[in-house]
Amino acid sequence: MDKSLLKISAPTVCEAAPETQNEKGKKTPRVRRRLVVSLCVYLIAIPLVIFAGVKLFNDRKYNIVSVIIAVLACVPLFAGFEKGRSGARELVVLAVMTALSVLGRLIFAPVPGFKPVTAIVIITAIAYGAQAGFITGALSAVVSNIFFGQGPWTPFQMFAWGFLGLLSGLVFRRGKKPNVILLVFVGVVGGVIFSLMMDVWSVLNFDGGWNLSRYLALLVSGLPFTAVYAASNAAFLLILTNPFLQKLNRLRDKYGVFNPQ
Amino acid sequence: MKAFDNFHPVAPFLYFAAVIFVTMFTTHPILLGVSFACAVFTCGMITGAKKTLKSLLYALPVMIVIALTNPLFSHNGVTILFYLNGNPVTKEAVLYGVDISVMITSVFYWFKSYHAVMSGDKFVCLFGSVAPKLALLLSMTLGFLPKLKRKYREIDDAQKALGIYSRKGYLDKIRSKIRVLGILVTCGLESSVETADSMRARGYGLKGRTSYSVFRFTFADAAFVFFTVALTAVICFLAYKGAADFRFYPTVKEINFGLESAALYLSALLLSAAGIFCEIKENTVWRLLKSKI
Repeated sequence: MDKSLLKISAPTVCEAAPETQNEKGKKTPRVRRRLVVSLCVYLIAIPLVIFAGVKLFNDRKYNIVSVIIAVLACVPLFAGFEKGRSGARELVVLAVMTALSVLGRLIFAPVPGFKPVTAIVIITAIAYGAQAGFITGALSAVVSNIFFGQGPWTPFQMFAWGFLGLLSGLVFRRGKKPNVILLVFVGVVGGVIFSLMMDVWSVLNFDGGWNLSRYLALLVSGLPFTAVYAASNAAFLLILTNPFLQKLNRLRDKYGVFNPQ
Repeated sequence: MKAFDNFHPVAPFLYFAAVIFVTMFTTHPILLGVSFACAVFTCGMITGAKKTLKSLLYALPVMIVIALTNPLFSHNGVTILFYLNGNPVTKEAVLYGVDISVMITSVFYWFKSYHAVMSGDKFVCLFGSVAPKLALLLSMTLGFLPKLKRKYREIDDAQKALGIYSRKGYLDKIRSKIRVLGILVTCGLESSVETADSMRARGYGLKGRTSYSVFRFTFADAAFVFFTVALTAVICFLAYKGAADFRFYPTVKEINFGLESAALYLSALLLSAAGIFCEIKENTVWRLLKSKI
């Protein structure tokens, strides 16, 4: 009842209504085109890069091949956002959420492994859907590395945080209070997978190929870091999810930002 | 002085992409040595010699650690130096470790220079035409950071002045911080909607809108881009022919100085040193102009 009242009282501010009606008619070809683009990248471009890596470079250039694959994996999602129907409001809200996660990483920089980025990405994904989660995660990696130093690891962080946002957008029911156990589970698993992935990247970079003993050594030496990271994810999620979700939902109801209809 | 500042963003972006690609692509010690020397010099010229020397003080121990730990994980190679806990430590593994550490450090220094040259506006200019929404999103995020930081401090002060801010226990402190963060989120989001409305009022998202850019693509840019692409193509071709092949295991291959290899080293040197050359040229021109006054 509350929502319908707000919608009636806010048409002067919310101009999205006529646009969305127009979009509905055109929706199918756009969705189809997007699907074609992603299929092209996932089924043709990525195997092609792997094939080229194996054939042309004698199977030893995993470091560069893996960077290219990480970038390629993000391309369809970025393209989907670029061609999607998000307007100025959605854009600005995403910019604020990204800035907040980067700011969090900057504030907690002295404590290694203790960063709220994952939590904010997951909360954005719960409130505004998988695409918003992906964009916030991927962009947080790029922007925060402007301060922490860009490197070949940037595409991997982009991939890891972006896909974490995407997956949590798919796992949780949009805009609803999430199940606490599932939330903690996602936070911890997300933190662990993030560390596992970054160690894979380190091994590929060092050895130009796979080296299990180095991977295990890196995992063990990174264990305290991973533990702090996973625990901080869970803690941030437990503390921040409900208040943040409330605010994001309120914004959705008040201004029609990321309204699914 | 930054000679790269005079270029259109496309030129330095392509240049750094090319040198980083070549560096990460090869394990050949001469190519990596050239890349490392040029990376450090370029970084020194762009970000300042003192700063770079200081960062070398941190980078060198890391390099040594990488080089020394490699034999612990890799027991390939035939020349056994000694045994450590029953595992052989080979000369080849140590040399490979040195090689890889040089690669990692040079990539690090190339990225440092890249970072100093490619500021936010250049990045936006570069990707503004390909992905206008993402580029705008990026530049807005960068803009929001200092704003939110200032707002955070204001809210913090206000809470303290109100006497709500508790700093008794650890838990109380965290609770206060989280309240400040919550207020910050509300403030940021509310004001962001205002920004969006203002953007819309100025015609954001309408068809046919062009974006202004201070950068012009001149002949010098075209020449630099051509130079970069041509040299990269030459290097890739020679590498494809096998001139850049190098192996550490089981025995370290001898460094080849044939015609093709020499051409490869020379083109890698030309490519890696292009940035330094531009800087030196710019500095000399600047001095000449100054001396004329």
